[in-house]
Amino acid sequence: MNDIITTACKFVTSSIGRKILVALTGSCLLLFLVGHLGGNLTIFGGDGTNPADPSWINAYATGLHTMPTWLLWAIRLGLLVIFLIHVVLTLVLKYENYNARTHYQMEGTLKATLSSRTMVITGVMVFCFLVFHLWQLTFNGDPANCYEHIRAAFTNPWCSLFYIVAICCLFMHVRHGVQSVMQTLGLSTRKIRPLYNIVAILFGIVVCGGFIAIPVAFLTGILQ
Amino acid sequence: MAKLNLTLKVWRQENAQAQGRIETYQAKDIPEECSFLEMLDIVNESLVHEGKEPIHFDHDCREGICGMCSLTINGVPHGGKKVTTCQLHMRQFKDGDTIWIEPFRAKAFPILRDLMVDRSALDKIIASGGFVDVRTGAAPNANNMPVRKKTADAAFDAAACIGCGACVASCKNSSAMLFTSAKAAHLNLLPQGHPEKNKRVLAMVRQMDALGFGNCTNQYECEAACPKGISVDNIAKLNRDYMVACAAEAVAVYS
Repeated sequence: MNDIITTACKFVTSSIGRKILVALTGSCLLLFLVGHLGGNLTIFGGDGTNPADPSWINAYATGLHTMPTWLLWAIRLGLLVIFLIHVVLTLVLKYENYNARTHYQMEGTLKATLSSRTMVITGVMVFCFLVFHLWQLTFNGDPANCYEHIRAAFTNPWCSLFYIVAICCLFMHVRHGVQSVMQTLGLSTRKIRPLYNIVAILFGIVVCGGFIAIPVAFLTGILQ
Repeated sequence: MAKLNLTLKVWRQENAQAQGRIETYQAKDIPEECSFLEMLDIVNESLVHEGKEPIHFDHDCREGICGMCSLTINGVPHGGKKVTTCQLHMRQFKDGDTIWIEPFRAKAFPILRDLMVDRSALDKIIASGGFVDVRTGAAPNANNMPVRKKTADAAFDAAACIGCGACVASCKNSSAMLFTSAKAAHLNLLPQGHPEKNKRVLAMVRQMDALGFGNCTNQYECEAACPKGISVDNIAKLNRDYMVACAAEAVAVYS
């Protein structure tokens, strides 16, 4: 038992161990994004005659809130823990990386992508967005009137713009994140790495495009 | 035979404690076919004639195999042409260019003087890997120990690392993952290195962390800057091997 605890402590303080934890929590958050998008897209659903039929999204929101309280809070707590591990470890790693470096007078870059070099910035932007998003749409309002809350938020162009910018940051974050997870978990080779890159971009486009579609639909009047 | 006239912005620093600075030098009539280090030799000769201190830089074999030469050229270690600085030729530059020459920079590579850095941190990582349990004595018979061709190739590719430190210098986080992973992989891949695999991986990764290198963020700058073309596949392998080694250590399984 002692061996297990000693090794576990060494693992979570080592560079690779922490990166693996970041990768695992990151993949959980990627899965969450997919689930969240699936739920959100019910806003486009309805009886087919009226694209702005609020019944599906309201039913989805009510469904989420009527699940047993312990289950709802277990999911929320789980997500919070995963999120905190991801954020805290990356910030610690970033702090170490900053301290490990001395800077060049003339900086040069060969192939590091912009998204890979701005992970912390886009991550912090997504974090700020998340706090606002939770305050605006999760903890304020009545799930039975979910559609009305979303409509009120997105008919304000500034609010829509903020959401769109935040989701673009999320795209940058996910674009590097997906292929980075594969490398960190040791599932990457030179043959499959270009494919992971394409998958990362496609995943980003589909997921972030899906999220952006909602404010855009309100701004263009597709949803009213 | 074309001659180049260049402006050099060179990092000068008297000793490890001194405050460094960029100084500007003119490199006149540089033959296109000379190497980057020969260009610096020409500049140094003129500095000596003027009674000034020549620019100090590391070099040894000058044929791209020893890993002694360093220099970050225009922000990229070895100039980013997939060769060592000694094999970088002046034909890669144009007449009138301004070239920034700085030492390999990382906290784990303290500057000794001008462009010379102390890269013994890399030696410490190798030393921590320990020995290989090979049978000493006469050379074994050919084909006595079968190794798949692909495995042998991968091990050989990893073993091509000359330990120049360009991976660390090019990394935005000063991580030594490419170096450590290459040194671990070339033994881990082969049957000769198998008995100490877990021990080696744990010791090398822990030593790497202790020496103050940064953490890899999978940007692959190291692979692009490496003069020996070491693949980041080795990093993925080290990540895998580290997970296995930790699990083995936790439950006290000794392979």
